[in-house]
Amino acid sequence: MSIIEARGLSKSFMQAVKEPGLAGAVKHLFIPKHIEKIAVQPLNLSVEAGETVAYVGPNGAGKSTTIKMLTGILMPSAGSISVNGINPYKKRMENAAQIGAVFGQRTQLWWDIPIVESFSLLKDIYQIPEPVYKANLDQFTELLGMNEFIHLSARKLSLGQRMRADLAAALLHNPPILYLDEPTIGLDVSVKQKIREFIKKINQEQQTTVMLTTHDLGDIEDLCKRLIIIDHGSIIYDGSLSEVKSRFARNRVIFFQVGVPMPELYNLLSQTPGMKLDRQNEQEFSVSFDRYEYTASEVVSRVMKHGEVIDFRMEDANIEQVIKAVYDGNLDLNQKGE
Amino acid sequence: MTLSRMFYLYKRLYIQQLKAILEYNKDFYILMCSAALTQVLGFVFLWVIYDRIPDINGWQFWEVTFMYAMIFLTEGMGSLFFEGTWRLGRLVNQGELDRYLLRPVPVVLQVFCTGIGINGLGNLLIGGVIIWQSLVHSHIQWSFAKVVILILLLLTAVIIRVSINLAGNSAAFWIRNAGNAFPLMVHNLADLAKYPVTLFPQAVRVFISTVLPYAFISFYPATYIFGKSGWSGWWMLAPVVAAGSAAAAYGIFRYGLSKYESTGN
Ligand SMILES: Nc1ncnc2c1ncn2[C@@H]1O[C@H](COP(=O)(O)OP(=O)(O)OP(=O)(O)O)[C@@H](O)[C@H]1O
Ligand SMILES: [Mg+2]
Repeated sequence: MSIIEARGLSKSFMQAVKEPGLAGAVKHLFIPKHIEKIAVQPLNLSVEAGETVAYVGPNGAGKSTTIKMLTGILMPSAGSISVNGINPYKKRMENAAQIGAVFGQRTQLWWDIPIVESFSLLKDIYQIPEPVYKANLDQFTELLGMNEFIHLSARKLSLGQRMRADLAAALLHNPPILYLDEPTIGLDVSVKQKIREFIKKINQEQQTTVMLTTHDLGDIEDLCKRLIIIDHGSIIYDGSLSEVKSRFARNRVIFFQVGVPMPELYNLLSQTPGMKLDRQNEQEFSVSFDRYEYTASEVVSRVMKHGEVIDFRMEDANIEQVIKAVYDGNLDLNQKGE
Repeated sequence: MTLSRMFYLYKRLYIQQLKAILEYNKDFYILMCSAALTQVLGFVFLWVIYDRIPDINGWQFWEVTFMYAMIFLTEGMGSLFFEGTWRLGRLVNQGELDRYLLRPVPVVLQVFCTGIGINGLGNLLIGGVIIWQSLVHSHIQWSFAKVVILILLLLTAVIIRVSINLAGNSAAFWIRNAGNAFPLMVHNLADLAKYPVTLFPQAVRVFISTVLPYAFISFYPATYIFGKSGWSGWWMLAPVVAAGSAAAAYGIFRYGLSKYESTGN
């Protein structure tokens, strides 16, 4: 059985409908109106031990709601969940002991207490054996560069520092399962990199199962082998990331630098169907093309026929465009590939 | 989870909270003194009344004072050790309960340790002093059993008080963004139990003995301590009432928790 297993899992919220203004508020007081908002439609999910899964979707798709049900915060409206054989809602404490969770929007740390003391509190809460605690603390401090702020209280930390502390806090007890809800939100490139490296290392060394939501597609490409896309509460794609890339990241881009400008080539290219020319300046331009229609070598040889190419480089398939097309409703990933 | 582990975790969380509060709360003394002053004023008020009417429904000054002080004392214990119940509204509405639900620690326990009402120390001290004074001034035949029972009644009084606070504040799970109005109202009804229940109509007596059993904090213990015949035996229900209140409050809290929806972000 999979380590995370959800069947027919759904969640709906009652949302109050108030007309604007004071009159609306008063009216709501006497005749409260609610609508049922279905945040997560009945969905099935299985994650294997040691997997790294990206759970993505546009704003309001139901990602956080799913994670909150899996972590035992929210009671599902319907369906069943089993995490390592435990029902996270019914056996909340048992489940809590075996998972780590980071919600990027909100810290799990004690606001007024120095980070080290928060950690030592967690040691008692999770009953972490001293040697394990010490080893983890040393390793995490080093890997996440926490030395400079570990003695400050959470309220004094910058966002990036806080996020690192939160990540360490979630992993001190070596949980076999780690949930990350937007762990890199608002972070600079270097901190993002640190966090990604860290998660990768934990996953590789301890076979920690990682489920991650993010809007930063770099996180996905760096960390995850599997991609699940949810939209309007339903899963619309579940499969390997590389497959999405090879099947749907059809656009390739090649950048050229040439010795002399080649006006006739530019003309020719912009008239060729399936190719798109983008000129940076007189001697630099890029050609994007559908790789189902042309091969890269075809494109390159076509350009070389017209003159001397000083340099060229090819850009890799870009997941970002694929995801964007899916969100915009322009691409159905479940369609059969050509 | 064993009881001793829960005590241990409570202690750990409480001490951390205390450290943080001592560091940030510079108005510590002001809070404490103002609480103490409020209670002293209440006491003076009683004294002024009894100066004119030395006996209310067969109850002497120090006997009523005892009841009065039991209400302070339990309030003090409540704010000092269980103040967090009053933060439940915020925890629910801001979605901060998420954090508690992620830890392998009973949620109630974490709620209790969410805050410390340092002003409770003032109530506790004044309440303690007044209880002591009222016991000294009322010629009581002390025995070992009586001391033990007094302590037991103090304990059940605290349990009842905290249970009612928890139950009242659990309203936050149903009434969103409502502030503390409802639990405050419930809390303030304790004022009724500062006086002998015999002053009130039957309905009120029954109400503060059953639905909100504040009378078991003050009145029934007083009938035992001061040997009020006519009520003898009723105090023995105190442990039952305490257990019942605790169970009911916990049940309401758990049921409320199942309604918890976190927040959208
Ligand atoms: N506590 C709540 N009460 C009412 N509605 C909620 C609540 N939490 C979420 N929702 C609704 O459920 C839907 C899904 O929300 P959710 O937070 O799961 O989205 P998300 O995929 O995490 O989005 P984002 O990328 O913006 O974080 C939204 O329409 C939201 O309005
Ligand atoms: Mg979210």
